[in-house]
Amino acid sequence: MGKKFSGVSQKLTRFRGYIQAAATLFSNLHLPNFLKGEIYRGAGKKVCVPGLNCYSCPAASGACPIGALQTVAGSAKYGFSYYITGTLILLGVLLGRFICGFLCPFGWFQELLHKIPTKKFSTKKLKYLTWIKYAVLLVAVFLLPALAVNDVGMGDPFFCKYICPQGVLEGAIPLSVVNSGIRSALGVLFAWKFSVLIAVIAVSVLFYRPFCKWLCPLGAFYALLNKVSLFRMKVDTGKCVACGKCAEACKMAVDVTKTPNHTECIRCGMCVRACPANAVSFRYGFGEGKDKSGVNAADNK
Amino acid sequence: MSIRKLAAAVLMLMLPVLALGACGTADKNEPKNAEEAVAMHKELMAQENAILAENTKLWEQVFAAADKGMTLQEDGKNYGDFLLKTIDTVKERFTEDELKLLKGEAEKIRDIENKLTMIEKKYPDAAQKSSDNDMSMPSDNGSTGNFPSFEGKDLDGNEIKSDELFSGNAVTVVNFWFTTCSPCVGELSELDALNKELSGKGGSLIGINSFTLDGDEAAISEAKAVLKKKGVSYRNVYFDSGSKAGKFVENVYAYPTTYVVDRSGSIVGEPIVGAVTGKTQMEKLKSLIDQCIAADTR
Amino acid sequence: MHWKKAAAQALLLAVGTAMLCSGALRGEAATVLSKAIRLCLECVGIG
Repeated sequence: MGKKFSGVSQKLTRFRGYIQAAATLFSNLHLPNFLKGEIYRGAGKKVCVPGLNCYSCPAASGACPIGALQTVAGSAKYGFSYYITGTLILLGVLLGRFICGFLCPFGWFQELLHKIPTKKFSTKKLKYLTWIKYAVLLVAVFLLPALAVNDVGMGDPFFCKYICPQGVLEGAIPLSVVNSGIRSALGVLFAWKFSVLIAVIAVSVLFYRPFCKWLCPLGAFYALLNKVSLFRMKVDTGKCVACGKCAEACKMAVDVTKTPNHTECIRCGMCVRACPANAVSFRYGFGEGKDKSGVNAADNK
Repeated sequence: MSIRKLAAAVLMLMLPVLALGACGTADKNEPKNAEEAVAMHKELMAQENAILAENTKLWEQVFAAADKGMTLQEDGKNYGDFLLKTIDTVKERFTEDELKLLKGEAEKIRDIENKLTMIEKKYPDAAQKSSDNDMSMPSDNGSTGNFPSFEGKDLDGNEIKSDELFSGNAVTVVNFWFTTCSPCVGELSELDALNKELSGKGGSLIGINSFTLDGDEAAISEAKAVLKKKGVSYRNVYFDSGSKAGKFVENVYAYPTTYVVDRSGSIVGEPIVGAVTGKTQMEKLKSLIDQCIAADTR
Repeated sequence: MHWKKAAAQALLLAVGTAMLCSGALRGEAATVLSKAIRLCLECVGIG
């Protein structure tokens, strides 16, 4: 059960940049609002986009899944969102971290920054930092909005308020450029978040996708579902010559021959292109499918 | 050389002609009809407000000094004159440059006021019309204009009309919020205290919860519950979302937002965007309120 | 062994769908919309 698409895999990876651009556009369709200094107020915002994209962005077509999670968790009426969590589980199983690799605007932003020619540093020895994003997901997104409530039972969206750099980049900055009322409201909180954004930008130039690896709660959620995602990596052990080029090409510090569905694999396909034997490809389907031998149940971190 | 002299002479002669021409078109002291009168009236009011908005910090100090006793003007006294008088009483607070600036601006206002009076004498409807037509949407350049009139109810079902509300108060502070916005809810206690302070000065504060428009019962009861928990005593109003005022609320998308409205229903200054629990926002709000109260008994 | 995985995937798809629907039915989608079209400034770090 399931398809192997090695020709398709190659094509997908080659066009990944264009797909990322298209996804960013689809997540932010209402471009004229940038000039008007307003946000989109229509029914499209009932639905969340798959990647990290702040609803405060003037052009945003939908709601941010992380923002929406906190909104519902922080409201006095509910403490937990079934609607959004259910959406994320669906997306996670259907696509997993393919979303990170192909559909997330902020991921694309970091990759563009990383193209700036400087010395690049590897994160292979910094794997312990990848645990931070799970803490961010648990504490800032789920727990604090539900538990740290005011006298009326309302909680603040902690991740959005104090951490998320995407909100500064596509919301606060464009709005305050055009809207003088919002400009005059900028204070200490904005100053802090702006410095978070600058830090992420700076580190993204030197390291590949540091926010995705170490901080993003959305990536953390999808990562947990990567192992059961229908979109997965497949190594044809018959073709594999164990040259190690795939692991070398991988910028997320994953060895696809050992752990093809590692939580850190964002399905970017650099291993697919690097493999001289065409042994690595994408797969879509239930279970493991018709398999010779190969790496399946040994999926461990 | 002689050509240059000739050119210079021609230019010199041209100047007064040009100036006359320019003055002639720009300085329309006499509006030719009622429509022009309304337009001129609006423009002059906008100019006056712009002058006041430009140096708010300085004007703040002037208004704070104007106590109720001094604001009692007889009919026909010019606001610009009143400002000049007030500036005089507090001239020690300002540097020489600031004083010069303020006096210059006050004189401009005096001129504007003279023109306004002249328009109003000739076209008594113009003043009324210029406020009626000016349904300003909350736009980002913070253009002052009129707060749209509304007829609605408070959360207990009592009728409230904006004309009565605004005309009965020297200043009305209108706070926009919604039930699930935690900074909006967080500032409710401060707003309640401000309301109590204002009622001693002849002002009042009302809230508009955008969830409650159209009288949505569930939203109203939730809003009331929150207001009760925060011990809020001031009135919250709702009205039809299709009305002029409803559209105005729709265009308010940044929360919380607070407007200061004077007795005639005009918006004073720019809306305060963001919670007033912050010191700078509260200061801005208070200065607008003082400005409004000081300008009141015109 | 891979049937277990397929079963887990199918189960999660079902759970996800069920949660989505029940959340939407109990009014959560309306809550998401009502907050997403009104910019609570402090909530996005403007302040």
